[in-house]
Amino acid sequence: MTSSHVPSGAALAAEAAPRLRRRRPLTWSGIFRASVPYWLILPVLGTVAAILGYPLYWLVKLSFQRYGLEELIAHKGVGVGWANFSSVLHDPVFWHTLLRTVVFTIANVGLTMVIGTLIALLLVQVSSVIRVLLTTGLVLVWAMPPVVAVQVWLWMTNYENGVLNYILTKLHVGDYMQHDWYASTFSMLSLTTTLIVWGAIPFVVVTVYAGLSQVPGELVEAAEIDGARPWRVFKDVTLPILKPIFLILTSLSIIWDFGVFTQPFLLIGQSRIATSNYVMGTYLYEEGYFFHDFGRGAAISILMLLMVALLSVVYVRKMVQFDEVR
Amino acid sequence: MKARLVASLALVAALVAVSTAAARTDSPAHATASKITVWLQVDAQSGWPDLVASTNAAFEKAHPGVSVDVQYQTWPDHLGKFDATLAGGNVPDVIEMGNTEMTKYMAAGAFANLSADKGSFANSRSWLQGLAASATFNGKLYGVPYYAGSRVVTYRTDLYKKIKAKAPKSLAQFSSIAKKLRARNGKKSFSPVYIAGTDWYFAMSFVYDYGGRIATFSRGKWHGALDSPKARAGLAAYKRFFDVASRASRTGTEDRPQPYDVFAQGGAASIVGPAWFSCCVGKKYKNVTNQFVMPGHKAGQSMPGFLGGSDLAVPNGSKDKALAKDWIRIFTSTSGEKTLQAKGNIPNATNLLGNSVNERAAKRSWFVPTAKNWVNVENGNVLRTMLARILTGKSSIKDATSTASDNITLTLNRP
Amino acid sequence: MSAQTQIAPAPVAPTVGRRPRRTRRRRLTRTAWNLVGILVLVLLAFPVFWMVSTAFKPDDQINSLNPTWFSLHPTLGHFTDAIHRPFFWVDVKNSLIIVGVTVALSMALAFLAAVALAKFRFTGQKLFIVLMIGIQMLPQAGLIIPLFVVLRRYGQVNTLTGVIFTYMTFVLPFSVWTLRGFLLGIPRELEEAAMVDGSSRLGAFVKILLPLVAPGLVATSIFAFITSWNEYIFARILLNDGSKQTATVWLSYFTGTSRHTDWGGLMAGSTLIAIPVIVFFLLVQRKIAFGLTAGAVKA
Repeated sequence: MTSSHVPSGAALAAEAAPRLRRRRPLTWSGIFRASVPYWLILPVLGTVAAILGYPLYWLVKLSFQRYGLEELIAHKGVGVGWANFSSVLHDPVFWHTLLRTVVFTIANVGLTMVIGTLIALLLVQVSSVIRVLLTTGLVLVWAMPPVVAVQVWLWMTNYENGVLNYILTKLHVGDYMQHDWYASTFSMLSLTTTLIVWGAIPFVVVTVYAGLSQVPGELVEAAEIDGARPWRVFKDVTLPILKPIFLILTSLSIIWDFGVFTQPFLLIGQSRIATSNYVMGTYLYEEGYFFHDFGRGAAISILMLLMVALLSVVYVRKMVQFDEVR
Repeated sequence: MKARLVASLALVAALVAVSTAAARTDSPAHATASKITVWLQVDAQSGWPDLVASTNAAFEKAHPGVSVDVQYQTWPDHLGKFDATLAGGNVPDVIEMGNTEMTKYMAAGAFANLSADKGSFANSRSWLQGLAASATFNGKLYGVPYYAGSRVVTYRTDLYKKIKAKAPKSLAQFSSIAKKLRARNGKKSFSPVYIAGTDWYFAMSFVYDYGGRIATFSRGKWHGALDSPKARAGLAAYKRFFDVASRASRTGTEDRPQPYDVFAQGGAASIVGPAWFSCCVGKKYKNVTNQFVMPGHKAGQSMPGFLGGSDLAVPNGSKDKALAKDWIRIFTSTSGEKTLQAKGNIPNATNLLGNSVNERAAKRSWFVPTAKNWVNVENGNVLRTMLARILTGKSSIKDATSTASDNITLTLNRP
Repeated sequence: MSAQTQIAPAPVAPTVGRRPRRTRRRRLTRTAWNLVGILVLVLLAFPVFWMVSTAFKPDDQINSLNPTWFSLHPTLGHFTDAIHRPFFWVDVKNSLIIVGVTVALSMALAFLAAVALAKFRFTGQKLFIVLMIGIQMLPQAGLIIPLFVVLRRYGQVNTLTGVIFTYMTFVLPFSVWTLRGFLLGIPRELEEAAMVDGSSRLGAFVKILLPLVAPGLVATSIFAFITSWNEYIFARILLNDGSKQTATVWLSYFTGTSRHTDWGGLMAGSTLIAIPVIVFFLLVQRKIAFGLTAGAVKA
């Protein structure tokens, strides 16, 4: 805003309203207009508070209690102070899992964003027939339930004569006949990564492509006619407009991939999940809920929340700052 | 402005308060419920829907005005759902539990004590030992055995005929059959007996066959017993047998791939698993498939098989336990059990046992330690990890069993 | 160029097509890209193809460890078997209702909140943003039991509305977050030009912004649709009767048994259940592909 004097109360009220509004003294209609944003966020806030208010309270409460199956049935826990947190933080399994999950998240997010953006750019370049086919294919990928996708992955990596073993042997990469892809943690989690990235690409592609459609065609053409190479066009024209979308997608991907549970759990299989291949999602489920140690599970949930907040703070800050720069 | 912020925060706080302090909307307790809820696994829906229907009909006839709502559950999440109802209310009146799932919930006080009614359930005096043990805790009865299943060997009669072999009577005989089968079939990936490396149900049978156990209970504490000499001898025998008989993954599990799929593709001459495996051996080998009981290391004695199965329990939160018990009574009556037997299951009492391979295999069986935390050992894949290390040679039997045993002792004794 | 006379964005995709004369070089590039596109399509969509082709295979070809790429004896048996399983149509109907209402309501509410975040400055704004992000960081496993407890208190267990509210709670935060991003991405000039038109009331404000953010709304709604459609664990926990359950719960019965799994049926069922998603996508995808001309001022 262009005001240069110390803002008065009335001016503040007016500032809270859309830019076009001329400053007015504090009137009922002024208050009403200034309260508009609050009315706008109220439905969302209300719904979320009504449903998640109690669960949040429960999580925090339980993290300070010993709460197993007996306590669940009796509806009453035993207060143990910080013992849950202390036990988790002193457990080397927690730290190993955390490190493994951070690496896992970086790999997943990186691959998802890069491949997704490349495909979105590809969509711009192809003819409309191929574009419709490709987007339909992507939506089909997106729509496939994880359970079914896991089955296809298991079939492809089958020990006896899965396609992957067959092709690798035929290409003379080595003798992969009867190779067990789930014998080592690296192998298991790499396969999980391919599954997750594959399932996450469609969302990135669709969102980035939607963002690309906001890029004014004239600017692109102007730049191209001025002789700019495709990379420069992308960097100078497209990227700035897409920046908020990239930030959002990256921050969302970090949040989701850090806590992902369904894919590793189904692909590795409950029989093979062990401390050596935990990621935070499976770790939380196993140690907190599968073993009926709900207090510990609540403590781990809160720790996970803090961890992922830490991981994404850079992006979130950028997003919030973005608003102020404007 | 401050006022608006305060107002909106107050609104949020109010909403949270409402959701946490909302009065419970429980329906008023009735002297007799007008409906009972029964949770059965989806196996019943596809396997014996007629039994469920006839039980409901008989129940509704005996209790006019009361209907039965059977809700089918799936194995992977029925316990999660049960936990939610234990916390929030709305527990079922009857619930089917896997026999290894019972102990933890019995110890936590989830189920009603049925000791006084034991006599009223059909054939309760001759219930299968393995199932009855799974439904008992601290000497009290908390469940009614439903049905059982054991493990048998499903084999290719044509391949066995070619080497002139009959059903082996001892482990040594079986090993020599396996060697001959391998000699006849040169394919590297062929398994005379397809066993997944970490199939602990099968591996532990060797431990029990040699007189060992997984854990013992003495002086108020559990002690992991896999490091005893007898248990180690059993595991050594398992390793020897695996090396001769199986080309499956040493770290693999018994459901990926399904052994019957390997069998159907000609990748195995015999497979070990539940008796219902014979359903899915494929068109090609359907007519040359038969089953025998897994032999133990002493000639003429079968190897103790893991007795799987389910029990039926009445949760403590049920609004009408008398009706629940009555439903169970009808469902597990002698005619009910005979129906289950006809569908290939093992009925819940020894006096009902027939002579099928499945039932003969159940004569000598073993069961997991009835410890409150046993499920945690299972879920933590302690045994699987141990077997993987032994079979791949990463650890000696001595070391692997010591580690596992310590782990089991620790887990079972946790409060 | 015509940059100063044309203010509204024209769709990006057909920029090449608008040139009257196509040079041969451009054609070759286009063809090369098309081939790449097809390759990507084949690689990505292969698992989907496998699912659909398995649905038509007879049982022995399915369980075969030797792949059958294309069955020579396709059968519709799995499809008829799936449709005749108990509660198929009811559960699909329930899913449609739940997801339809969830998406519609969530888009509306999220759009309003996103406008508040992107176009206004108010106290507590940062707090609200942090809340929207923070909620998504909550691991869902921990929420299952307390959510059941609180919904039971509201009497919403075993009801479609209970599930709708639950899904909205999970869909709203990222929808708000994503739509805010799209709103911020709209070039300022467009907004100012639109407002010069004289409409300074909130309603007209929304009417101008809405079309400009349509591609973002569509992308977000597709995400909301698919996430809700494939959601399983909360539907399983909250819904008891077969007549109230959703399609994903119906699907879980194929793999939930301790006996052997009917893979053909599972694949057929999954294929059938994916159809509404495709239909929804085809209905809304025009907004993304062709950008938007409504409300824009053309040169």
